[in-house]
Amino acid sequence: MDILWLGVLALLLLGYFALEGFDIGLGMLLPILGRTQRDRDRIVSAMAPFVLANEVWLVAVAGVLFGAFPSLEGQVLFGLYPVVVALLLSWILRDAGLWFRRRLEGPVWRAAWDWMICAGSYGLALSWGMALAAIAGGLSGPPIGLDGLGFGVVVAAAFGFHGWTFASWLLPGQVTGASRDGRALLVSACAAALPAAVPLALLSPWVLEHAAPAGTLGVLSLIIVPFTPVMVGAQVWTWRTFGRRRAADRMPSFF
Amino acid sequence: MDVLDLARTQFAVTGSLHFLFVVLTLGLAPLVAIMHTRHTVTGRQDHERATRFWGQIYVINYALGIFTGLVMEFQFGLSWSGLSEYAGDVFGAPLAIETLGAFFLESTFLGLWIFGWRRLPAWLHLACIWLVTLTAYASAFWIMVANSFLQNPAGAVERGGHLVLTDFGALLTNPTLTMALPHVIGAGLWAGGFTVMGASAYQLFRRTSEREFFTSSLRTGVLVAFVGSLITVGVGYAQFGVVATFQPDKFSQPMVGPALGIMIGIGQTLQLFIMFVLMPVLYWLPRWRWAQPILMVITPLPFAAATAGWLVREHGRQPWLINGRLTVADAMSPGLTSGMVTVSFVGFVGVLGLLAFADYFLIARTVRRGPAAATLGVDAPTGPTERAHALSL
Repeated sequence: MDILWLGVLALLLLGYFALEGFDIGLGMLLPILGRTQRDRDRIVSAMAPFVLANEVWLVAVAGVLFGAFPSLEGQVLFGLYPVVVALLLSWILRDAGLWFRRRLEGPVWRAAWDWMICAGSYGLALSWGMALAAIAGGLSGPPIGLDGLGFGVVVAAAFGFHGWTFASWLLPGQVTGASRDGRALLVSACAAALPAAVPLALLSPWVLEHAAPAGTLGVLSLIIVPFTPVMVGAQVWTWRTFGRRRAADRMPSFF
Repeated sequence: MDVLDLARTQFAVTGSLHFLFVVLTLGLAPLVAIMHTRHTVTGRQDHERATRFWGQIYVINYALGIFTGLVMEFQFGLSWSGLSEYAGDVFGAPLAIETLGAFFLESTFLGLWIFGWRRLPAWLHLACIWLVTLTAYASAFWIMVANSFLQNPAGAVERGGHLVLTDFGALLTNPTLTMALPHVIGAGLWAGGFTVMGASAYQLFRRTSEREFFTSSLRTGVLVAFVGSLITVGVGYAQFGVVATFQPDKFSQPMVGPALGIMIGIGQTLQLFIMFVLMPVLYWLPRWRWAQPILMVITPLPFAAATAGWLVREHGRQPWLINGRLTVADAMSPGLTSGMVTVSFVGFVGVLGLLAFADYFLIARTVRRGPAAATLGVDAPTGPTERAHALSL
């Protein structure tokens, strides 16, 4: 049972990196790929229908950590205190940029929130790098350091590559000038997930030691398993609805 | 303030802020779903306009619910790691189920609903908003299961220095849950109804060109608030017996008495006012321009009462985090310093406070500009037509 929940945790964390990775990457590339407001609108519109379905994977990671590996939850989050605070603030500002940018007219308002999306996305990538480096180091040293920053650059590069590939896949020849197929997107998704996969694989025995007792895991499994097809179905539906075939003609505008 | 007070205040402020937005989400979601249903069934334009207008207010409000909720979820680990250490095997289960079985789906379906206009078949698009509503209420249920465990730790025994789950059923039938959940849901409907009523009153007072639209929505708002107020007040009084049994000292805590007084004062007066003043004149109310400012002024009151209610429930639990089992002081993360909490406090409360302010400003602006300006469900002009247009410039 504890192996099953380790698998769930791993799937959700890697899923978060593979999916939300392209949103964060496109956020970082927003001023580079989107020189004009019209181009930035096009980029945000491309990622917008996916963001809510992607970022929620991290909310689920935190929930599974609390429910299935409770003693780890406090240890990891408290051990990473300043990084978690930076990650949350970056996340909130990035999201605020997406939700608010179109709520008022005027170029200044929208451009200011676009910068917020960009800054928040960099903050997310760098915080993740520092968090993963600190976890891989056994939470022994201070969570903010040069090696953490270095790993942050790796994460940022992976996310940037993934974001670029996503835009080239969804809007071929439009935003990046390049065109990529589904296979390339799969490769870049793996590249985005790799910085999380390596530390997680190394640390899985340590994670397993902190699993909740069988009684708790049994209850969790009993309630969650029936929902799994719905969760998978909702995610697949999102990709079928907003994927490549439908993207070309019209773009939803809310973000 | 010492570190414990700081950490408590941080959680109280984010928690109150969270509920301020969540209570409206819970109230508006079913209203928007019903409007969308009427549109889908009848195909009428006015129902579509209502869905998009109130839906946009619902969605703008939703953003702050997410932001504050994220900080809440992670704060358990940041400030209160003693809670997961001691009781995570029990308390963590409802929270994990909430994220996977409710919020994960709510967020995904909300994305499909917001961006699915004219992209999804009408009935499937309608299904999305009902699934969002359903999962929002499921979310409220599981969060209240977790919260009720803190008030009365049912279904768990202490073994080897921490709590172990022995009876999941007892967690779900906790007497501090069965009364508090409908109380919260009633308060949500009340807040949602009052928001619709207040916004309509504002438009009617300004001699809106959308007279028919806001006449109908004002009546809907009062009616929904009436139903919500009956549930809230009825179940509210019924809770006294439960509190006397499980937390006999609750109301003798400092600050709890006044907060309880405010909540009951607002709640009872307003409930009687809706029942005996607003409801009998509901048909004529939208025509009476002099009455509209009164409706606008009372709109924030259910939000104030809801905040006071949470203060009663959570402050009355002190000094316990888990009633009779774990004190708040023992639950604080060991090694947490005033400096750490102060920096994160300024960051979270500063950013969330500013965003909350911006969010209310944007909601007010959406209300002021009326249904004709609603952008939810309108396609952005980035398609080929616009490019042709750009070339012609």
